[in-house]
Amino acid sequence: MPYVVKRPERDIWEQSYIPETVRGMGVTLRHFFRNVIGRRDTVTILYPEVQRPYPPRFRGLHRLTQRDDGSPRCTACMCCQTACPAECIHIVAGSYPDGHPLAFVEKYPAEFWIDELRCVFCGLCVEACPCDAIRMDTGLHARPVEARPHLMYERNLLLSITDAKGDVLTANPRKK
Amino acid sequence: MPKLTIDGREIEVEAGVTLIEAARRMGIKTPHFCWHPELSVAANCRMCLVEIEKNPKLQPACQIPAAEGMVVHTENPRVREARRAIMEYLLLNHPVDCPICDQSGECKLQDYYMLYDLKSSRLASEEDKVRKRKHVPFGPHVVYDAERCVMCTRCVRFCAEYVKDPMLCEVHRGDHSEIDVSPDRTLEHGYSLMTAHICPVGALTSRDFRFQCRVWFLKAAETICPGCATGCSACLDHNRGRAFRLRPRVNNAVNRCWLCDDGVLSYRFHNDHRLCSPSLGRGNPQPASWEDALSEAAAALGKTPKAERAAVLSAERTCEENWALIVFAREALGIERFFLAARPDGTADQRLRSADKNPNRAGVRLMLGAEPEPMTALLEAATAGRIRAVIALGAEASAAGVEPSTGLLRLGTVVSIAERTGTLPDAAHVRLPCGSWAQSAGTFVNAKGMAQEFGRAMPLGDGLLDVHEILARLARRLDLSFPYKTAAEVRTAVAGRLPEAGAAGGAP
Repeated sequence: MPYVVKRPERDIWEQSYIPETVRGMGVTLRHFFRNVIGRRDTVTILYPEVQRPYPPRFRGLHRLTQRDDGSPRCTACMCCQTACPAECIHIVAGSYPDGHPLAFVEKYPAEFWIDELRCVFCGLCVEACPCDAIRMDTGLHARPVEARPHLMYERNLLLSITDAKGDVLTANPRKK
Repeated sequence: MPKLTIDGREIEVEAGVTLIEAARRMGIKTPHFCWHPELSVAANCRMCLVEIEKNPKLQPACQIPAAEGMVVHTENPRVREARRAIMEYLLLNHPVDCPICDQSGECKLQDYYMLYDLKSSRLASEEDKVRKRKHVPFGPHVVYDAERCVMCTRCVRFCAEYVKDPMLCEVHRGDHSEIDVSPDRTLEHGYSLMTAHICPVGALTSRDFRFQCRVWFLKAAETICPGCATGCSACLDHNRGRAFRLRPRVNNAVNRCWLCDDGVLSYRFHNDHRLCSPSLGRGNPQPASWEDALSEAAAALGKTPKAERAAVLSAERTCEENWALIVFAREALGIERFFLAARPDGTADQRLRSADKNPNRAGVRLMLGAEPEPMTALLEAATAGRIRAVIALGAEASAAGVEPSTGLLRLGTVVSIAERTGTLPDAAHVRLPCGSWAQSAGTFVNAKGMAQEFGRAMPLGDGLLDVHEILARLARRLDLSFPYKTAAEVRTAVAGRLPEAGAAGGAP
């Protein structure tokens, strides 16, 4: 159905944009003088000297949680490896030998690699883990490195990383 | 012939056929744990209960023979409720340790839970569960977990009925019942891995496969077991270039649905001691490029007089590969003497295992049209200096009573085409790596004379070439004619010399 489009009717004074320019400059100058002379409430910060606190659910670099005795909670079930869309997790399972105090657990990760360069920080590995063994609550970014292998994190390094409060245990302890 | 109705469809079956079998013929999968088509009926898991009209109680489909006029319902609400209740019982004391269970991913408890149960346990506390023995080694190949066991007794019946050695039995009663090995016995009868294979849950698992790979990562490919001359049909499970296990594939003419322990473990022929790149030099092999290795091989073979050349065929390799070598040796190199390299004989029994541990000895005879000479003859000829240059296929070469390396080391030139290290490649001057049996397509002729074709189960790895390709490149370097360019051409040439595929031909 055709209809006539109403064109905006502006007079020459509006069309010149002068009053709007002056009003915009006024806002800018108001903020300028308020922050230079009066109270300072700039929204920008001097990163990285100044850092904002991250929300508690920020997904940072991974860590592997430990049991009370320091052994990895991970049982190498490969659920995280299966869930990972970036295919950045590689696990080799090992078996606790007979007589070992943890022989009842049977399985542990002999090797656990995460390629933090491939990782897309989606958090699906944390969702998939049935043992709460992998968490992303470290609050850490992938740091700049000189060579790619430096961001290939292996088992013992992952086990040693703490959460934001400095704890190596899980924040969500469940039955043994 | 009784005619009955299952889920609204009519079917006519022979007298004595059970309902579960009749339903299977119609494409209806009745859930079951204890029933196995090759074993006797136990009817103890109660998972296959179906409703038969005019029958007050649900009946186990695995046990009730089809009768004239029966009307059977396999999926109505009453049946589903019964199955849900059975699953609740079976899972009541189950440890739910799927993360560390190798069966996870191919476990019937998981499958049927998703299909019929989907409820959380009504047990008040984890501590109320009955605790039983875990990871008990039953034998060199099998480990038992009593908590995961559903007492279907498939393993018990397998040992009693197929192996005829009833060493497994049920002990204790009720919640506490479990499977045990007879006193002073270990589960070790050559077919022990089949108990783990038929276990519908994670109670019996393979010690060899334990924790190696989650099953959902595995890709399956149909193949023929390379372990002995029986030529059992099998599926090869592999992931990222590594083989993990063989599983039996139903072939009623050969292995029905079984495989021996050696057969299950013969995936190792693909993994172990592989040659990954061409190498030169005897004793201290140095990696070389294909260009250099082929030139070196061609030069060494070319400079030896025709009468002093010989070829070694391999009972480990397919008919196609042996045929390509025979044609290359006869037409290009003018070789008239052919020898046979083979693995040494092993144990045999009345079921599946042959004493001849080579998958294709009969096929090599068919290809050559005559009996190849044994390795001992080659060693004698080499020691006497009548043969100086040999082109050899395959890795292993055992000759009874003779240490092969001493005689082989007298040869001026040994060109070895093999997939892994062994007697022949170790004595060779030039090693040309080819694909393993899993990486090649071809035909094995078993001890009964049945030709069984199989496809490439896994891709040919980097740095490897097919045997016909290696021979064609060698021929090009020697400026000699070799008629085959593709595997299909070799296949066509071989087809006429083989007995009808799958059918038992006359033993050659």
